[in-house]
Amino acid sequence: MSATHVNSHPAREKAVVFNATAPRLSIRNYSLAYATSNGPVKALNNINLEIAPGETHGLVGESGSGKSSMAWSIMRYLPSNAIEKHGAIRLAGQELLEMSPRQMIDIRGQRISMVFQDPSTSLNPTMRIGEQISEVLMAHRGLTKAEARAEAEAALARTGITRPKEMLDRYPHEASGGEKQRVVIATAFACEPELIIFDEPTTALDILTARQILDLFNRLREETHVSALYISHDLGLVSRIADKVSVLHHGDLVEHGPVNEVFNNPQDSYTKRLISAVPHPDRWLGVAKPETSAPLLSLDKVSVRYSPLTFKEKVLKAKPDEDQIFWGAKDVSLSVRPGELLGIVGESGSGKSTIAKALTGLNDFTGAVKFGDISVKGRKEISRDYRRKVQIVFQHPDASLNPRQTIGTILSRPLHLYDVVPAAEIKNRVRELLELVRLPAEYADRLPHQLSGGEKQRVAIARAFAAEPELVICDEVTAALDVSVQASVTELLVNLQKDTGTACIFITHDLNLIRQIAHRIAVMQHGRLVDLFDREDAQAEDRNPYTRALLDAVPVQVSLGVYETEQNDE
Amino acid sequence: MPKSFLAPNALVGVFLLLFTLAIAIAGPWLAPYNPQAFDALNRLQGPSMTHLLGTDQFGRDLLSRILNGAPTTVLFGVFATLLGVSIGAVIGVVAGVAGGWVDNAIMRILDGLLAVPELLFTLLIVTVLGGGMGQAMLAVAVAFAPGMARISRSAVLSVRTRDYVRAAVARGESGIYIVVREVLPNALGPIIVESTIRVSFAIMIGATLGFLGLGAQPPSTEWGLMVAEARQFMFRNPWCVAIPGMFIAMSALGFNLFGDALRDSLDPRRSH
Repeated sequence: MSATHVNSHPAREKAVVFNATAPRLSIRNYSLAYATSNGPVKALNNINLEIAPGETHGLVGESGSGKSSMAWSIMRYLPSNAIEKHGAIRLAGQELLEMSPRQMIDIRGQRISMVFQDPSTSLNPTMRIGEQISEVLMAHRGLTKAEARAEAEAALARTGITRPKEMLDRYPHEASGGEKQRVVIATAFACEPELIIFDEPTTALDILTARQILDLFNRLREETHVSALYISHDLGLVSRIADKVSVLHHGDLVEHGPVNEVFNNPQDSYTKRLISAVPHPDRWLGVAKPETSAPLLSLDKVSVRYSPLTFKEKVLKAKPDEDQIFWGAKDVSLSVRPGELLGIVGESGSGKSTIAKALTGLNDFTGAVKFGDISVKGRKEISRDYRRKVQIVFQHPDASLNPRQTIGTILSRPLHLYDVVPAAEIKNRVRELLELVRLPAEYADRLPHQLSGGEKQRVAIARAFAAEPELVICDEVTAALDVSVQASVTELLVNLQKDTGTACIFITHDLNLIRQIAHRIAVMQHGRLVDLFDREDAQAEDRNPYTRALLDAVPVQVSLGVYETEQNDE
Repeated sequence: MPKSFLAPNALVGVFLLLFTLAIAIAGPWLAPYNPQAFDALNRLQGPSMTHLLGTDQFGRDLLSRILNGAPTTVLFGVFATLLGVSIGAVIGVVAGVAGGWVDNAIMRILDGLLAVPELLFTLLIVTVLGGGMGQAMLAVAVAFAPGMARISRSAVLSVRTRDYVRAAVARGESGIYIVVREVLPNALGPIIVESTIRVSFAIMIGATLGFLGLGAQPPSTEWGLMVAEARQFMFRNPWCVAIPGMFIAMSALGFNLFGDALRDSLDPRRSH
């Protein structure tokens, strides 16, 4: 960028020059705790971390590991109950802990900036995008309004937005998720900061968009030589973009080093566990392929319409105007064989959950569904017998269990409803079900909020299997869980499938995961089924271009093979 | 006791509420004098050792009258609210669960009723039904129903789309089971909280009606009526207006602060 604006910040220039060889960010023996009514809760424990100029440092950890606390300590924006016991956080040699709030305001956005997880909540919905970028430029670089606008346009152009000038005049809701994240990234890079903190910047985005954002990040990093702290729970992703990586576990930095070293030769047991839990398409976990090819469930041109019937259609029985109708799913035909695991993948809004809801009678549909000898042509025709045989598990374990019922009550309900076992044996059966999903029997007396997310999801799975179904639909059941929990829930599901011979429809956006467990994979886009193939044919030449793009966009972890054999020996 | 009841505001609320309920229950037995006994020689006295809170225009002991009036005043508030909440909650739950045109029809009618201010609405009903405690209670209940219906409906709507309700639907549960076991227990919180806060409004409306002569009739010891009767002697003895007024304010404040604390304790984010 122009030399003039650098000269307008003599203080900043000096700091950089004086510490040219020193690390950009250095954290020493830093500990943080939060005061709660149950006494202090430690969040970070003796953290030591250094980021060299131009380095991208990955910070990996599961929820509650202290990743976000770390980001906020660096930004000096901690809640009032934070207790900083000891340690130092230095930006280019300057101690941030000693800065006054006034000084920190100058540093934030100018010398350290941050990119958040969800672009739709990190932009102000009532301000035009142009104003939001200009605001930063005017505040930190002292540009005039006109200069800032020109600079904002240039910044947007650098992020690859096709018509930056138009984008400046739009409001956030008029831009797509990917465009919004580009705007946030443009704002973060606008003042040429020394350090950018990325807090899971691609988690809220679709696979293909996330891939583009990562490419953008890589390009901008090379152009600007900024230092970056990249926070993520996704190991595969971090392994592709970071130079060095640190692994956080319950506030302790358990391992750090160059990416290749940590991933190929992890020393700490937690890191090992974390790496082995990452789904890898070549590691088959699923059950054996079903022998029969006669379908258990078949869908024939199933469509779900979301836009309500118009006056013309309802009263005048006019032919619907196809362009005006919004279809949640359109003409989906597929089948599931007994004992099979069918994966349905697609981006958000592709209609995968819509199909799940139609099949479980939560959405009305047109077309025909045939299940064994039951044939259904709409929601009203779904019988209790069908409902018993087709069970569903939802994405969010927190929402799918009634918070005021004990686990025992929740699990006994399907047993009562479908008369699975005689009333006297229900208690025993609940215990067996808990055992089946590897939870202690005393959990029957607990309430959902006393369980962790993974445990709640196990209960939800147990409830589905309580009905002794022939088909279980899993709607993104692992999406809300941590990597290691995700692996154990997947394993549980596959084991249950092995033991009971139940067929399963597994809906997910995680292609690596689905390739580990599914016999066949269906790909959906804009409510339509675009591809359906056997797992073995994933890399075949004749794959649909959209499938190809999805497969290419997913980061596969670097050389996992070396480590895997080591794990098997243990 | 849950943590949210230990906050200063909540403690004051709990204390005031307990005090109000205590005098509402035991008041008539604690009264030192007959509340209707005239004493022509001691009219409009200030507080003294013989009459702790002074006397009114007929020389009746104010403390005894307050204590005797407590059950009428407080129970009026509680029962009027209970009645209003029951009517409102049933309408709201029906609207929320049924959805579609039923919901639309009910809500548009309620919107119309809500456009009339509560007090005005109560006055209208009392004018039609005539004065008296029973009529006043019914009027307050009817005036409360639309607001309560709206709150119950929104509580039901927010629960209705949760995954555990969807799971019950997918399981093939009956409508009654879903409403009674899955939806209602989780929608009850806001309804209960709103009711406790409304008790204070009911007490005030009851007092207002008494003051206007449309509620309790003389020689009742209802607090609002006491203020109304003593109004013309306000300048000779301000106590006989101030004291019943203070008790009305105190009981209303007690229910209000208690309702706030209850809301906090039912909110899982605050209590866990």
